[in-house]
Amino acid sequence: MQVAAKLTASGLTRQCFRAARMPCRPRRGLATRVAASAAPGEYDFDLFTIGAGSGGVRGSRFASAYGAKVAVCELPFDYVSSDTKGGVGGTCVLRGCVPKKLMVYASEYAEEFKAAAGFGWTLPTGAISHSWTAFIDAKRKELLRLNNAYKNTLNNAKVTLVEGRGKVVDAHTVEVDGKRYRAKNILIAVGGKPTRLNIPGAELCITSDEALELPACPKKIAILGSGYIAVEFAGIFSRFGSEVHTCFRQPTPLRGFDSEVRKFANEQYVAAGLHLHPSVNPVSVQRQPDGKLSLTVKAVEGGATTTLTDLDQVMMATGRAPKTQGLGLEEAGVTMGAKGEIVVNDFCRTNVPSIWAIGDVIDRIQLTPVALMEGMAVAKSVALSQPTKPDYWAVPSAVFSNPEIATVGYTEEAAAAEFGDLDIFTASFKPMRNTISGSPIRTFMKVVVDANTQKVVGMHMVGADAAEIMQGFAVAVKMGVTKADLDSVVGIHPSAAEEFVTMRTVTRKVRRNA
Amino acid sequence: MATEEEYDLVTIGAGSGGVRASRFAATLYGAKVACVELPFGFVASEEIGGAGGTCVIRGCVPKKLLVFGAGYAEEFADARGFGWAVAGKGGEGAPVHDWASLIALKDKEIQRLNNTYGNILKNANVTSIEGRGKLLDAHRVEVTAPDGSVRVLKAKQVLLATGGVATRIPIEGAEHAIMSDHALALPSLPEGPIVVLGAGYIATEFAGIFNGTHRHPVHLLFRGDKVLRGFDEECRDQVQDNLVKRGIHVHAKCKPTKIEKRGENDLLLHYTDAAGAPVTLECGLVMMATGRKPRVEGLGLETVGVALDEAGAVKVDEYSRTNVPGVWAVGDLTNRINLTPVALMEGMAFAKSAFGGELTKPDYRNVASAVFCQPPLATVGYSEEQAVKEFAGNIDVYHSRFKPMKYTISGRDERTLMKLIVHAESDTVVGCHMVGPDAPEIMQGLAVALKCGATKAQFDSTVGIHPTAAEEFVTMRTKTRRVPATGTSKL
Repeated sequence: MQVAAKLTASGLTRQCFRAARMPCRPRRGLATRVAASAAPGEYDFDLFTIGAGSGGVRGSRFASAYGAKVAVCELPFDYVSSDTKGGVGGTCVLRGCVPKKLMVYASEYAEEFKAAAGFGWTLPTGAISHSWTAFIDAKRKELLRLNNAYKNTLNNAKVTLVEGRGKVVDAHTVEVDGKRYRAKNILIAVGGKPTRLNIPGAELCITSDEALELPACPKKIAILGSGYIAVEFAGIFSRFGSEVHTCFRQPTPLRGFDSEVRKFANEQYVAAGLHLHPSVNPVSVQRQPDGKLSLTVKAVEGGATTTLTDLDQVMMATGRAPKTQGLGLEEAGVTMGAKGEIVVNDFCRTNVPSIWAIGDVIDRIQLTPVALMEGMAVAKSVALSQPTKPDYWAVPSAVFSNPEIATVGYTEEAAAAEFGDLDIFTASFKPMRNTISGSPIRTFMKVVVDANTQKVVGMHMVGADAAEIMQGFAVAVKMGVTKADLDSVVGIHPSAAEEFVTMRTVTRKVRRNA
Repeated sequence: MATEEEYDLVTIGAGSGGVRASRFAATLYGAKVACVELPFGFVASEEIGGAGGTCVIRGCVPKKLLVFGAGYAEEFADARGFGWAVAGKGGEGAPVHDWASLIALKDKEIQRLNNTYGNILKNANVTSIEGRGKLLDAHRVEVTAPDGSVRVLKAKQVLLATGGVATRIPIEGAEHAIMSDHALALPSLPEGPIVVLGAGYIATEFAGIFNGTHRHPVHLLFRGDKVLRGFDEECRDQVQDNLVKRGIHVHAKCKPTKIEKRGENDLLLHYTDAAGAPVTLECGLVMMATGRKPRVEGLGLETVGVALDEAGAVKVDEYSRTNVPGVWAVGDLTNRINLTPVALMEGMAFAKSAFGGELTKPDYRNVASAVFCQPPLATVGYSEEQAVKEFAGNIDVYHSRFKPMKYTISGRDERTLMKLIVHAESDTVVGCHMVGPDAPEIMQGLAVALKCGATKAQFDSTVGIHPTAAEEFVTMRTKTRRVPATGTSKL
């Protein structure tokens, strides 16, 4: 239970370890298959990886560096993924972290130009304009460069790259577009894909893949969902000048995050100009006679419906699912979970001893650096015979919405459940830049302390530069620093980050037996 | 006749250290406190100061606001790569900066903060007394108000926290140069180039500020071979490369000899170049950022017998006590580490020592700091050179030098430098350095890790936040070099 709680704390809740601890449930009455007929020494590769994304590339190249003979297969490259299209680099590089961040940067300039006026700059009217196509071209160029760089990385690591759709035939055989390869170990790292809600008009909607490849910036857009992808794109389009409506089932966005963080972020999103529609379920999407879209939503309480009209796009950002269809895993006897995720143990090993799985496909913590950690662990287990478990304690993460959010460790709620007595420290202020620029956006910082041990078990921030700031604190939290340690550190001045080491007064004491 | 009022503590100087000490002595320990400060003004002098002190009025805060203002120049240039059409600097339709507007906005904010500091003292029940404070003896402070009236305060303890002042180098025509106080109060920038003399953090910061806002060339001129003496050598090189890449004319190994005034905003700087040859440089403004010294004048220190050290600072022991019992000193006046957060730490420790019944030493180990040149530098712990001199064993150096993601699209040809200095035998991270965007924000959390004795293994076991620059610090796997250390300290 302790491990599950730690995962909850990361803000990207997945109760996956529960699944790992359940006894293996044979599918369709088939027992777990053991190694097939060929004798050892008859393998083409020590490790065959399916999927050349963050986890797959990391696992493959390090296994190779450790002396294993490694191959990896990946679908042919395209910007938008499908059952037949992918590309070396995977989601992160091609349709996730990287293009998202570039788009955030591009959109931030709009805000900077406004803020600059507050600092004595005059922009001649009409002097500044944005070319969407120029940006998409620049983004594509960078993605191609990275795709190539990843191929070189694999090449330099002496990993054989096979292009095509991989499928598991049995515990030691992978088939890629008809050709079979024998492997001592198989690593599944196929990642995930956006899901679409099953509502009328779903086919008229875009997902994140298409949002990164739009021909033009939508003037008005509705985004379904309130997870990190939804709020990130909401911020991007809003900064570019779109009228953005975010529709979601929860009362506040970002379920799984600390509730004060959610509340504060909600306030800042509104201040930043987003139109939030909480507590609604999407009903349908329709095409208007003029070609634009309408979206009908229904209130969770009471059932009143609202229709948003004249939308250039409706984006579904309601979740991602593991991309396990057609991989042959069930047939090979690999235990799967309810969402189609691959069930693995603490070593990222499936119930089939020669088959391993990492990254988004196992649905633990869907972050590139976690996939990298899992890839390293498998590389060591497989190639060095050093069984290595990834360590999920204090995995930090960030949401690149407007403003940013970053977090490490426990939310207050999870910490209360785990530790009982807590000391909570919070600070809220307008960052220096905004006092001059006139932006209404404020910053919020929170430290969650286990009152009995005085260890810092969670740190959270909503505000500019949160992601960059949190990394160093993640090292500290992982080390197990105490509140006194934090307070003993001299601040860097002037910065926002120094607030974290100057919170002297307890905001709130949480006591289990109050 | 002067009347005498009695206090547990009289503080001379309501800057970072003085305010912190005063309000905590009052609120935490119930002391009756008076705090003496000169009337408010932007340019400091023997008669002008203001609550908030250097940091708030003519240091950290206004500097940072000006760095923000100047930083937009970078954003305008970089936006193009992201599809934004912005005319280039000096071109038609280009964004134009008005210095006077920025100064006016800055002034408004500083006045607001000065007011806030006044309220901080009031809310802490500290008596604010406007005027010039001077020790008559260890327990009496004479205050001369702006109107000339004099009063004497009796004090059980006295805290000196008058900070420091900018200094000029004693060359002919030095009076034609301005210093940082005036730079922050300039009504406008001159036609013609600006020359900044100096190579420390103030010089490099102002060079960047002028470079981002000024229409004419900016020069940085100094006697040494590179900027930022005392910092990690590779970081110094990176900062200097960046200054040059940003278009600042950097003149190393040059000695200024004379400033000739030819007219209003028309100066001729005379200097000798690296080869010793005499050179002149026409410019509209010369700023000297060549040093600061503790403000010891007019405090009555000689009368009372408060000792100064060789550098001219008030000499104190590890508890901030001067040689005169009952007289203490904190902050830039003592010239230990001249940073606001350090003055705050010294002020807190003093309050606890003097009134909390517990002699408390400020801890100067692993104090992080930042230089807001563009892009900025941040550092905590030992430089590579310092680590090699200090420790016994070996020093492992890890690097990451990369083009930040933003620049790959914007086309800016600059690299970020990150360095970890590790004591090999104990695997302890003893130094952490960065030159690149957001370095100061990134370094704070790392400073916590360092202060708590983090090992390289602990850094490496921390999962990165992606995509950021900061994650590079936890993914440096390959040692760049191992240097045998020559010191004796063990870890």
